[in-house]
Amino acid sequence: MSAKLEIANLNKRFGGLVAVNDVSFNLEPGEVVGLLGPNGSGKTTVMNMISGALACDGGIVRINGTDITKMKPHKVARHGVARTFQLVRPLPTLNVSENVMLALAFGKQRHWGRTAREMAEDKLAFVGLAGRGQEKVGDLTYIDQKRLEMARALASDPDLLLLDEWLAGLNPSELQIGIDLVRHLQDQGMTILLVEHIMEAVRALCSRCIVMSAGEIIAQGACSKVLQEASVIKAYLGDDHA
Amino acid sequence: MKTSYAFILAGGVLALLATAPVFISDYWTGVLLGMTGYVTLATAWALFSGPTRYVSLATVAFFGVGAYTVAVLNDIMPYPLVLLCAAGIGITMALVVGLSTLRLAGVYFVIFTFGLAELVRQTVSWWEVNVTYTMGRYVFLPFEGRHIYWQLLALAAVTFLISWSIGRSRIGLALKALGDDETVAAHSGVDVTRIKLLLFVISSTIITLVGAIQAPRWTYIEPSIVFNPTVSFMTLIMALLGGAMRLWGPLVGAIPLFLLFEWLSGTFPDHFSIILGLMFILIVFVMPNGVLAKFDSLRKGSKL
Repeated sequence: MSAKLEIANLNKRFGGLVAVNDVSFNLEPGEVVGLLGPNGSGKTTVMNMISGALACDGGIVRINGTDITKMKPHKVARHGVARTFQLVRPLPTLNVSENVMLALAFGKQRHWGRTAREMAEDKLAFVGLAGRGQEKVGDLTYIDQKRLEMARALASDPDLLLLDEWLAGLNPSELQIGIDLVRHLQDQGMTILLVEHIMEAVRALCSRCIVMSAGEIIAQGACSKVLQEASVIKAYLGDDHA
Repeated sequence: MKTSYAFILAGGVLALLATAPVFISDYWTGVLLGMTGYVTLATAWALFSGPTRYVSLATVAFFGVGAYTVAVLNDIMPYPLVLLCAAGIGITMALVVGLSTLRLAGVYFVIFTFGLAELVRQTVSWWEVNVTYTMGRYVFLPFEGRHIYWQLLALAAVTFLISWSIGRSRIGLALKALGDDETVAAHSGVDVTRIKLLLFVISSTIITLVGAIQAPRWTYIEPSIVFNPTVSFMTLIMALLGGAMRLWGPLVGAIPLFLLFEWLSGTFPDHFSIILGLMFILIVFVMPNGVLAKFDSLRKGSKL
């Protein structure tokens, strides 16, 4: 259910731009950690290198001790890593239930047939989409598409969940629902790494956070402390506020 | 069960079609033969290109290679072995082409497959002129129209069975998913490259076999006949007209279009290409998702 994530000396350049420079951190099993930083600081690039969407130029990613650095995304997924995308990406040709069944069919356990249909319904109920499996994804509202994205990520039965701004763009009441959902997963013991700009969510969910700026880690530790540090405030707001 | 009724019905129709040559004239058997050939081509094409949306114009490359295999090997091997060889060559070619091109997306894939068809045709021509000194070959096999028709009918039935079972399997789901968004499919655990390759190979092998089985029909074969790009275009437009995402879509498109083209090429032999081009444009504009989807949307009263 929960996994240990180890990242050591991760590097990524795009041409002359160093997007991620020597990033190292660990996540203990069951920990919920926020990955913070201003736009363009390399958070999503780190996520992409963990999930296999991007090949890294150096460094190691391990999940429960297994080296997944060079693995393609589908292999990484079978090692228990699931993710959501910064912009929701539901599959429009499939209905809501089939979107979830895809991850069930190709996840760690490879469920199919009636079992998969029932499990898809369970996952949908968990995120608050009970009984809506036959709807088209194009008809879903934004929050419901986000719920679907979460259900699809959970369907592969992950040990590590990567949430890339999953809570962005929600109104205050939706945000509360979203936070409760993540907390529920936390209670089940899932290891979660979340990239997030909404501090309210970070404070509510994360025991620890890691702050990146210009491709490097500039601070990490307990949320309340880290968010007070001068270097973090400078990175977000500029010299005048530090 | 609904499925078993459908199977009994399909079996009945198949038996009826198989006995048809006994009752109808040779001319109409010939029409049925050509039609079955295109139904199989369009269904096989849609097997890969429908859900993945990789529009392939390489149909005639495989089709022609199948026909040429029969032309070259038919007097040195028994016929079943010749068909096996054709299938083997089809598989090998599909693997090579697939491994090197399935990373290309969108229009680049279309252009590559069109170029491939031309490349194969020119290579075969060059080989025949410069190496074997035979432009054109004769295929002498003791087959009448109905024998070829029966073989094609069997191949068509197998193709539908494959398409049906893939549609129900997890591979079918993965195919639709990767047609929508390869990144999401991969992150859900789908080995995108392998599934695309698998389907491309299955589809191309069936197309190769259609060419091989139809070869004795011509008696005389040369590159300009069996590598005619119109075969690729007709296959594509038939599948699109019916709806390439549905099991019966290519069939629904292939039957009327084949009959129409047959009539047009007989009635307006000089203007056939112009009319063909106009029809392509019309179909793409009016029914981008195919006739079946159009019917569905009309029935639901919503606009497509």
